[in-house]
Amino acid sequence: MGQSKPFNTHSILIVDDEAILRFDLADFFMDAGYHVYDAADADEAIAILEAHDSIRIVLTDVQMPGSMDGLKLAHYIRDRYPPTVLLVTSGMRKIELDEMPENSLFITKPFDPNRLLKHIEEIART
Amino acid sequence: MTVCCTIYVCYPAEDLILQNSATLDKALAWSIANRFSLSRQFAIVAVAVFVVGLVRGLFITELVPWLFFIPVIIASALLLSRDAGIFASVLATIVAGFTIGNSDHAFWMTGPQWAGSILFLLVVLGLAVLVGELRYTFTRNRGLTETNAETNILLGEREAFLASVLASSTDCIKVLDLDGRLTFMSEGGQKVMEVSDFNAISGCPWPIFWNGAGNVQAEAAVKAAREGRSSSFIARASTMGGTEKWWDVAVSPILGADSQPKQILSVSRDITASRYNEEQHRQLSRIVETTTDFVGMADLDGVVYFLNDAALNMVGLSRERLGGVHVTDFFPPDDASQVEKEVLPAVAEKGHWIGELSFRHFVTGQLIPVLYNVFPVTDTDGKLVGYGTVTRDFTERKNAEARQRLLNDELSHRLKNVLSVVQSVASQTLRQSQDLASANTALMSRLVALGEAASVLTANEWSSAGIRQLVRTVLGHHADIGDRIIIDGPELVLHPQAAMAFALALHELATNAAKYGALSNETGKVRLTWSAGEADDGNGPRLKLLWEEVGGPPVQPPSRRGFGSTMIERSLRAYFKGEAKLEYRAEGLRFEIDCPLEAAGSLES
Repeated sequence: MGQSKPFNTHSILIVDDEAILRFDLADFFMDAGYHVYDAADADEAIAILEAHDSIRIVLTDVQMPGSMDGLKLAHYIRDRYPPTVLLVTSGMRKIELDEMPENSLFITKPFDPNRLLKHIEEIART
Repeated sequence: MTVCCTIYVCYPAEDLILQNSATLDKALAWSIANRFSLSRQFAIVAVAVFVVGLVRGLFITELVPWLFFIPVIIASALLLSRDAGIFASVLATIVAGFTIGNSDHAFWMTGPQWAGSILFLLVVLGLAVLVGELRYTFTRNRGLTETNAETNILLGEREAFLASVLASSTDCIKVLDLDGRLTFMSEGGQKVMEVSDFNAISGCPWPIFWNGAGNVQAEAAVKAAREGRSSSFIARASTMGGTEKWWDVAVSPILGADSQPKQILSVSRDITASRYNEEQHRQLSRIVETTTDFVGMADLDGVVYFLNDAALNMVGLSRERLGGVHVTDFFPPDDASQVEKEVLPAVAEKGHWIGELSFRHFVTGQLIPVLYNVFPVTDTDGKLVGYGTVTRDFTERKNAEARQRLLNDELSHRLKNVLSVVQSVASQTLRQSQDLASANTALMSRLVALGEAASVLTANEWSSAGIRQLVRTVLGHHADIGDRIIIDGPELVLHPQAAMAFALALHELATNAAKYGALSNETGKVRLTWSAGEADDGNGPRLKLLWEEVGGPPVQPPSRRGFGSTMIERSLRAYFKGEAKLEYRAEGLRFEIDCPLEAAGSLES
């Protein structure tokens, strides 16, 4: 913290249809000083991204109801907002590397938010 | 005993007669065996007649002159021939006439002598002819006796042969009368039929020995034989020892001299063993034909010459198209080369190969996972003549394995998601608690509520949870349902995520009521009601749920909103995609949800 950053790393969008999880992660990142946006599905997420171009970190679940699952959303964001730090999470399965968008990270549920935070900050520093 | 004695007494007299006849017999037999030519016969006769004539002329002149010649004539006719007898008669008449006459008479002999001579000649001629006939008859009779003896020997041999054939044959050969009653059974037949005493069954109607349909067939065969026709049938009959056997039976009439059936011949052959083999073979064939396994055989070159119906069906071949198909044609290229290079040599060498491969459907080309099981086909000497296979379609098993994998993945997914929820609940509980002890208590009870929701969901394969069961399960811990907690609403099924959140929310509400609300005294009540009705806006039915506390101590809004209230309002709003409102009214706490029904679940179908 306090280091120079190429863009605003303090805004994060958390996309997960499991609200309890989403709220807890939101509380966690808020406590860590982030400005948190949350969405229950891809459509909500896209609307939030369009409204707030300051968001450069997206953490998304894979399995979600709606027109797009988390993986498709990740690809959409990679295309649409290339510099975004993409974190894809799922309890379902290992996502094959070629399924993932470039420069994105897959995290298996359940995960330790502290380690995730450390990781995000490492990426932000590079 | 008496019979024996009679024979014994009679025997010497008979013997004497036989001895006498035998002397004559021997002389006659000798004369027949040693025939002389006619001239020698005549010479012998002439000598004999002249000797007799000389003896008579020299010594016995006074007696009847012809009497001495009679034995010579009889002997000539009997021992030489009729012609010799006639010659002897004529010669004897002349010699006799010569010896009795003299030149004093104008015609050598007196008139009465002439008459006597002529009469003698006539009588002895007749005698010679008669004795000659006797000789001829004897000769013919002797020939007949010889032929008869020869015939008897032949017949004896033949009978012995037939008897040995009958005795040694394992066929059961029987003779029946025209009514079908047993009159004879061959020795070998008695053995195979396990007959210890033929007298016990002699005269019994033969068809009664046959069981079931055989009885009808036997009756028909007897009837046919009686009408002069032969027939045969195969049926079951038990031996006298009680062993049931299969018999191949031929029944034919035995014709008399008038070509009419006089008796009936029945020959039964025990075919139990071959019948059993046949039956066993038939059953084995049936197993091969009805099994759902792929059964096939190929020659040493790998050319398939047999496939059962299941095999043809499995790979989409027809019998017509089977000709020339090679073992490797059943596999995709990779497996085919493995079969050729590894499987078949292994079978020839080690006698067996089993492993998982894939067949290729001949029409669609689709791969069929199989457990390929190959064994050698050998001839009776144990020489390898081909390959056999009983191959199992593994499609179902592979599908089951895939389903199992999917199920495991799904289970793992659920488990991880539930752990994530637990992680969040724990994290929130710790975050909002003032001390570790209260955090501990709260976390424990929250995990129990989650567990209850999980068990309701698990009962429905994690697809939904009935709202009533969920309510009863979660609230049952806190107070008596129906007494302090009144429930009213239609049965609904909730989505898994909504069910988890709802269970947690109910748990929080009940815990709060027990601590501060209507369930904290002896009289307060909680009313939990819900309805699912059509909304005015036309966007589908809405779920309206109300938690209402009455009769509790006056309510005071909490100074700090903890996990409970946050959980209740915030998460239910998110999960149910509608309004969730918590009101701390003085007369009692009130919690209300108003959301589209489809966001929470659906009316029980």
